[in-house]
Amino acid sequence: MFKYKKDPTAKAKRLSSYKPGSFLYVVNYVSQSKSAMAGFCFIALLLILSFLTPYIFKYGYREINVRMQYALSSLEHPFGCDEVGRDIMVRIFYGAKYTISIGFFSTFCAAICGIILGAAAGYFGGLVDTLIMRALDVFQSFPTILLAIAISAVFGPGYWKVILACGITGIPSYARMMRANILTVRGSEFIEAAASINCSTGRIILKHVIPNAISPLIVQMAMGVASAGLTASALSFLGFGVVPPTPEWGAMLSTARAYIREYPHMVMFPGLFIMLTVLSLNLVGDAIRDALDPKLKN
Amino acid sequence: MAETTLEKKTFLSVENLLVQYKLSGETVYAVNNVSFTVAKGTTLGLVGETGAGKTTIAKAILRILPDHSLKGISGSVVFDGKDLLKLPETEMRSYRGKNISMIFQDPMTALNPVKTVVDQIAEGIALHQNMNKANARIKAIEMLETVGISADRADEYPHQFSGGMKQRVVIAIALACNPDLLIADEPTTALDVTIQAQVLDLISSLQQKLGTSMILITHDLGVVAGTCDAVAVVYAGEIIEYGSKEDIFDHPMHPYTVGLFGALPDLKKNVNRLSPIVGLPPDPTVAYTDSCPFAERCPHVAPQCREKKPHNAEVSQGHFVRCHLAGEIAGKAAP
Amino acid sequence: MAKLLQVEHLKKYFPTSRGVVHAVDDVSFSIEEGETMGLVGESGCGKSTLGRTCIHLLESTGGTIRFQGNDVTHLSKKALAEYRNCVQIIFQDPFSSLNPRMTIRDTVTEPLKLSGRFRGEELNRESERLMDLVGIEKRFYNSYPHELDGGRRQRAGVARAISLKPKFIVCDEPVSALDVSIQAQILNLLMDLQDEFKLTYLFVTHDLSVVRHISNKICVMYLGQMVETASTDALFARPYHPYTKALLSAIPTVDIHNQQQRILLKGEITSPINPHPGCRFAQRCPYATAECTQSDLPLVEVEPGHFVACSRIRQINKDL
Repeated sequence: MFKYKKDPTAKAKRLSSYKPGSFLYVVNYVSQSKSAMAGFCFIALLLILSFLTPYIFKYGYREINVRMQYALSSLEHPFGCDEVGRDIMVRIFYGAKYTISIGFFSTFCAAICGIILGAAAGYFGGLVDTLIMRALDVFQSFPTILLAIAISAVFGPGYWKVILACGITGIPSYARMMRANILTVRGSEFIEAAASINCSTGRIILKHVIPNAISPLIVQMAMGVASAGLTASALSFLGFGVVPPTPEWGAMLSTARAYIREYPHMVMFPGLFIMLTVLSLNLVGDAIRDALDPKLKN
Repeated sequence: MAETTLEKKTFLSVENLLVQYKLSGETVYAVNNVSFTVAKGTTLGLVGETGAGKTTIAKAILRILPDHSLKGISGSVVFDGKDLLKLPETEMRSYRGKNISMIFQDPMTALNPVKTVVDQIAEGIALHQNMNKANARIKAIEMLETVGISADRADEYPHQFSGGMKQRVVIAIALACNPDLLIADEPTTALDVTIQAQVLDLISSLQQKLGTSMILITHDLGVVAGTCDAVAVVYAGEIIEYGSKEDIFDHPMHPYTVGLFGALPDLKKNVNRLSPIVGLPPDPTVAYTDSCPFAERCPHVAPQCREKKPHNAEVSQGHFVRCHLAGEIAGKAAP
Repeated sequence: MAKLLQVEHLKKYFPTSRGVVHAVDDVSFSIEEGETMGLVGESGCGKSTLGRTCIHLLESTGGTIRFQGNDVTHLSKKALAEYRNCVQIIFQDPFSSLNPRMTIRDTVTEPLKLSGRFRGEELNRESERLMDLVGIEKRFYNSYPHELDGGRRQRAGVARAISLKPKFIVCDEPVSALDVSIQAQILNLLMDLQDEFKLTYLFVTHDLSVVRHISNKICVMYLGQMVETASTDALFARPYHPYTKALLSAIPTVDIHNQQQRILLKGEITSPINPHPGCRFAQRCPYATAECTQSDLPLVEVEPGHFVACSRIRQINKDL
């Protein structure tokens, strides 16, 4: 580790041994960025704590203790307690996996649907393109949160339904991006070169077009996790999200809102964790973007 | 400008200019101890391959190098008796565009797409010559006509012009304030041959009319032959040969210059094989402090080339060569 | 010598929202086996489109293409695959012509693999032979394009093009993105390969000094039309078409004592969208009269093997 720091070219040399854009290249690049590693460690720690909550902490996330209502921070309850005396720290850690996993899953769904739609629109063009893109235009003409609310209102609250709502609202941006990338890559000379050496259409798409069109999407996904998590929290905050008593952070904020004047700690801690998580995800996303964006390379 | 005594004097002299960049942790030795002078009303050609440091020299003179990656700059750029590198930024700003202006390589990106061409020319005039808007516009239209664009196209936008016409607009902007020095960075590389001929012709006729001095940056020896008075050959951020056009074209001394001529397909002669310069352009992250940067590719390389940096030797009046073997090779390798 | 490629009245139009672009308009020429034909013209004159249409990277709008005497204008899928084993292309930009996610070895191996001619270890041996042939050093076999300089990248492009042992290669400005010293290396390589494998080149370029150096025959194009074609020596010695004259005089020469008088053309290249009939050069031509734009002009043989499309050729060239 210290050897690399002394020799500034070592990083470049080590990176060049991987295929640019390959998984190992990205991992290597990201692992060399201090801020990204800090973000990654924070998320990882949060997730570990979240799954181990029952074994680590004295209290359960739904354990009510009326005597501790609105308790402030203490050694016993570092983040204090909520309106029915549940330990806020335990609830935050337990709820971490919901906020983060909603972010990941919904981004994943959005990206898959977006890539398929965008690739179809970009590759086939013509009527297919028009139909898909106009339909997505309709989607995009609603503000994201409003659309998410509308979808949740149709499906009702619940963990998977929030993922669905957040996922659907994310589709248009991925589809648009994929379509644009496909169009750029299709015009490159190496695609013509592939045709000239008798590549089949399928092979051209799979081997030459997709791998070169997908990396900006991965960047978008890395950044999208944070914003999907935020949307999920917002939905829960508005009462359309994860059903209580599941301690989703947005839901916690929503409940605590009523007591913001008297007991600000109830709002502060979930808010702080939403902020830190989004920041961490963005830091990692930034590093992935740097690793994948060819424009930033010399 | 009216002082006739200054006419013959060199009015730009660059001395020991040194520019280094930082690039992902590595130092790029872009310009290494470059010295040259430009006399009033003459044209100096800076010739070299991609990455040789030509554009960096030009940007250093104008002080428009990107701050964030600049590691160090030293030496002096004396223009009209003042060292531009030591001027405060505010004072420098009054030189740019007014006394020194630059034409960039790509006319497609050098113009602002959302302003009419006449506005873009008038902007500089109004700024530097304290004219009101109406007068600046009249002057701008005059400039357009000088570069061969009729006045009725003045209110059009850049996208309505072809590449050659855009480059004319760029030239009009550069010359609008009668600069004393024009730096043209590959002004015709993006253009077709017949358009290139028109543009070069325009630049030199305007230069003669206005008495502007020029630094022409190019990789095309043919363009240099047609327009320049003096030539500096740049390799690895150094001027390896410097002299009058006749010196360089008739008696090239440095093996790199000789190689450049040899690698050029000749229109007049039928040769079966070209003689390329072997190997690859130098690595800009290597500091050639005690060797000749061309040693690895040089057909005449001798042991001392790898041990000692050649100094700048004056082989004849005003003809400088940076090569240990300058005298010996010249006889053998005359083209 | 046998005619390898014969192109007759070839047309390629692109419909756009502003009208039909006549990229290639009624062009005829033939290339003999083993020779290099230079195709010169300014940007947008349709020379690249013509090259690509000849090898079916673009489908022609009209006219016929014959390869070794067989009509290849319209091909079934199977016949197209066979045709593409015989014709190849080298691209201008060595940066965009290689897939950035494939190593040099992968790029060179791909056509071999697809052809089915090689298997297993043979495949490897053949691709290494090819890379060695074009002068790529062993240590770069597994490099990615972004790690190589322009010259080596272009060598990889050449290796890919010759991998299927084609007879005919379209070189689309193969050296115009390279520095002078590297350009000479690639030109020498192309000439060596031609000698060794009896290749036929269609060399598309805007650089007249390069084309003079490499080709036996030259076609000059202006806005989709062929204006003059002749052997290289004849064309450079006696250009007859006013455009060719201007083009040749505009080339910057390094001979400082004999700077030729440039013929400066007025105006700019006009648009190839819905062009008027007749000579497209008429608007910039110093000799143009009304009759030049009345009807399309045929290529006329003014000397053996020297064809010119100009209605006023005898008035312009008194020596004819």
